[in-house]
Amino acid sequence: MIKFIKAVGLSLIFAMGLGTVAFAQNFPAPSGDVLLTVAGEIDVVNVEDTLQLDLTALSDLDSASFETETIWTDGVHTFEGVSLHVFAELVGAEAGTFLATAINDYTVEIPVSDAVEGGPIIAYFMDGEEMSVRDKGPLWIIYPYDNSSDYRSEVIYSRSIWQLDRIEVVK
Amino acid sequence: MSATTHERAKTSRTVAVLAGFVALAAIALLTYNVSREIRLLGSASSDNVQWALSQTEVEFLEFSTRASAPESDLNDIRRKFDVFYSRINTVGRASVFEDLRTNETFNQQLAQIVRFLEDSVEIIDADDAYFLTQLPKLQVMSAEIRPVIRRLANSGLEQFAITADNQRLAVARTMTQLAVVLASLIGALAFFVYYLNRMNLRTTEREREQKLTADRMNTVIGTSLDGVIVSNEEGRIIEFSPAAEAIFGHNFEDVIGKEIGEVIVPDHLRDAHDAGMERMRNGGQKRVVGKGRVTLEAKRANGEHFPVELTIQSAVTAEGEMFVAFLRDISKRVADQEELVAARDKALAGEKLKTDFLATMSHEIRTPLNGLLGNMDLLRDTKLNTAQSRYMRNMETSGRLLMSHISDVLDITRYDAGKLSTRSEPVNVSALLQDIIDSQSSMAAANETTLDWGWEGLPLNWIKSDHDRLQHILMNLIGNAVKFTKRGKVSLTAHSQQADDGNSITFEISDTGPGISAELADRIFDDFVTGNTAYDRDVGGTGLGLSIAKRFVSALNGKIWLESREGEGSKFFVELPVTLADPDTETNQPDVVAEALGRLNVLLVEDNEINRVVAREMLELDGHWVTEAVDGQQGVHLANEINYDLILMDISMPVMDGRTATRTIRAGQGQSAKSKIIALTANAMPDEQENFISVGMDGVLTKPLTKAALRQVLQLGHQQVPSDGLIVINTKHASETKDALGEDAFRKLMTRFGTEVDDLIDWLETAERHDRADIANRAHKVAGSAAVFGAVALREHLKRIEAAAKSGQDSDVLDLIDGLPQLWRTSKSAMV
Repeated sequence: MIKFIKAVGLSLIFAMGLGTVAFAQNFPAPSGDVLLTVAGEIDVVNVEDTLQLDLTALSDLDSASFETETIWTDGVHTFEGVSLHVFAELVGAEAGTFLATAINDYTVEIPVSDAVEGGPIIAYFMDGEEMSVRDKGPLWIIYPYDNSSDYRSEVIYSRSIWQLDRIEVVK
Repeated sequence: MSATTHERAKTSRTVAVLAGFVALAAIALLTYNVSREIRLLGSASSDNVQWALSQTEVEFLEFSTRASAPESDLNDIRRKFDVFYSRINTVGRASVFEDLRTNETFNQQLAQIVRFLEDSVEIIDADDAYFLTQLPKLQVMSAEIRPVIRRLANSGLEQFAITADNQRLAVARTMTQLAVVLASLIGALAFFVYYLNRMNLRTTEREREQKLTADRMNTVIGTSLDGVIVSNEEGRIIEFSPAAEAIFGHNFEDVIGKEIGEVIVPDHLRDAHDAGMERMRNGGQKRVVGKGRVTLEAKRANGEHFPVELTIQSAVTAEGEMFVAFLRDISKRVADQEELVAARDKALAGEKLKTDFLATMSHEIRTPLNGLLGNMDLLRDTKLNTAQSRYMRNMETSGRLLMSHISDVLDITRYDAGKLSTRSEPVNVSALLQDIIDSQSSMAAANETTLDWGWEGLPLNWIKSDHDRLQHILMNLIGNAVKFTKRGKVSLTAHSQQADDGNSITFEISDTGPGISAELADRIFDDFVTGNTAYDRDVGGTGLGLSIAKRFVSALNGKIWLESREGEGSKFFVELPVTLADPDTETNQPDVVAEALGRLNVLLVEDNEINRVVAREMLELDGHWVTEAVDGQQGVHLANEINYDLILMDISMPVMDGRTATRTIRAGQGQSAKSKIIALTANAMPDEQENFISVGMDGVLTKPLTKAALRQVLQLGHQQVPSDGLIVINTKHASETKDALGEDAFRKLMTRFGTEVDDLIDWLETAERHDRADIANRAHKVAGSAAVFGAVALREHLKRIEAAAKSGQDSDVLDLIDGLPQLWRTSKSAMV
């Protein structure tokens, strides 16, 4: 009898543990070139324990766009991409930090609290065109600098990482 | 607060407000500056640009290292190239590098690098095979461009250093400005704090003073015995002192804020009060405010009305005009005053009653007494034996004494009632004194006392005075002296004093009698004061003599006093101011000359039967015809019917009094309209006598009637009486002259006088042509002659002409001249 109870309990625990894994949403695996690899404590994965997103996957997410000047470009440009807020919801990041890394392994820390509606986006289009690596592509975290002076600070500028290709979510 | 302090406070306030504005402006400027700096610092225009620039070299090295390494993956080289390319692209375009791009050297270096990139890109973008063939070339190009990239980084750093310096300077400048502004702001604030502190101190001090003043005022108001009420412009009570509470019976709490009229003004005065307040509010006249003490009626809490004395002053304060009223309850005082007035009125009424009673009684007693004395006068002329004659004398003495007592009482009454009047007539002092001494000499002889009189100083024979009053005074004093002095000496000395401010005579009456004690001397001039009772019985007296003498002396503006020592005699002094008079023979009472008057037809108008009988007897004894009338009405009737030579007219009578009767006779056309009318009266006051003359009477006979007085009047009545009632000829005077000159001489003089008058009349017919002074001179001369012959009317007329001529009244002169011939004819016929 006791054995039986133990057996049931164990099986329950296993079931729950398996359940947790099963809850991680399955995301379609990338079919094109992977532009962004998301790792760390995330709710959604598609390739092993990472979430790999190609341009199609990114485009399928709710997109956001705004016009702004930047200190690295000349004149006003339209940026379109995934809102960091939408991205955070997607990966289930509610607190903590995004460790965003560029192609040249340059890494910056972006607090999850930056991910607000109307806030920064992970831009994949500039003026409606894809961005090449030579032109800070393929992904660039852009804050709406013109909207608020809060976004025109040294810290925000340092967080505006270009040639982004990896994000690790750290809690 | 005075005007200057006010002004100063205003200036201080303006300064404070200005300082405040300056401080605010400074704060605004500061805020703007600081926010600008913060904005500049906050919205950083650069990423970590230096790092970004140095990264150029790093990324180039990563690329060139990969390109140099033989085993390198071509894609890896391409990736590193792209990253470097992106970096240069950024440096060439980013706004943060704008400053750097203005540097020529930097630009040249940048251009070289861009050229290198453009050259390299062909190799990098080519296919792997071509890339591999060109790799060495790429390596050479990289090696060539490497120092340029290094210099780019270095020159960038130099530029950054300069920019940083400039920025530091700018920050320093801003900070300095900030410090200056802050310092001035702090200074201004410090000044403001100091100023506020001072203001505060001053305010505290003023408040303390005001509190002290207020305390003092409250003490004054609180302890004032007068009620103090303060009201504002609308008449609302703002202060009501404890004394006011006591006076009005209101409590402070109950009346505060109420309309003052509602509280203290009686209902019947409310309208006037409200109108007054309204008038003042409209800037009109203030009838009570500032007018000193005013007495008004006020109302207590219980509705009782009472008199108050109040003063109201207005004061202008910061809260508007204020009225301060000081009120005093004077109901007690007013009541006292009313009581006093009532007491005085009562006393005066009592006094008047007494005086009236005395006057009436004296008069009523005198009338029957006159009857007695008159009958005695008649009785004496009948045949009497010796004893009867003695009784007769005694009766007469008693009667006269009684009459004199009554006269005394009347005199006192009149004097005290202020009705005692005196005459001013020429009096011969020496003659008067001689008469008095003569009349008293027999009495003195009986007492074995010597009596004499004399002048000391220049004799002032003729003075203007009241003969009868003076005689009364001196007779009383001499009479007393003689009465009290036995076997001694009484002397009367008249001291004359002539001074610049007028002449005076002091009569000194000294005796060697028993003297008067000091105690008695103090009150000897009081009413009813007599000396030793036993002694009085010896000499008799009412005790009124001296008090009347004193009253007469006062009436004559003189003084009376005495010096006496008991056992050594007394000295009485009477000092009178006198004015000298011309000797006037005419006013002397002519002696009655018992000459044949002829029989006159006399009308006697008298209501009192006894008086009528006495007068009739006296007239008939002298042989006249007498007709009687019992009142004025009857008298007028008879006078109209018959031409009487003389009418004797009583004054107070029933039906018609003597005055009215006389006026009626004179006004009518009756037989006796021109007859002589003589008043019969007991009131011998001079002003009354004038009144009798004014109604048309020719003379006055004072009761009791005496034969002598009656005869004198009858004699005058026998003479011609001109229309103006003046006696034409004084026969006594004329006969005296005749006696003195002798018959012949008198006749001659008469003729000459007649010629003189005729000449004058002729001359005056052309009066218009003559000098006034000449007319006056000639009239004067003839008037003197007329006096010698007793032609008094003529003399008077001429004197009037003289006076009119002297004063230049030409029309009067001519009128008088017109009347002269007629008067002369009348006078001439009377004289002959």
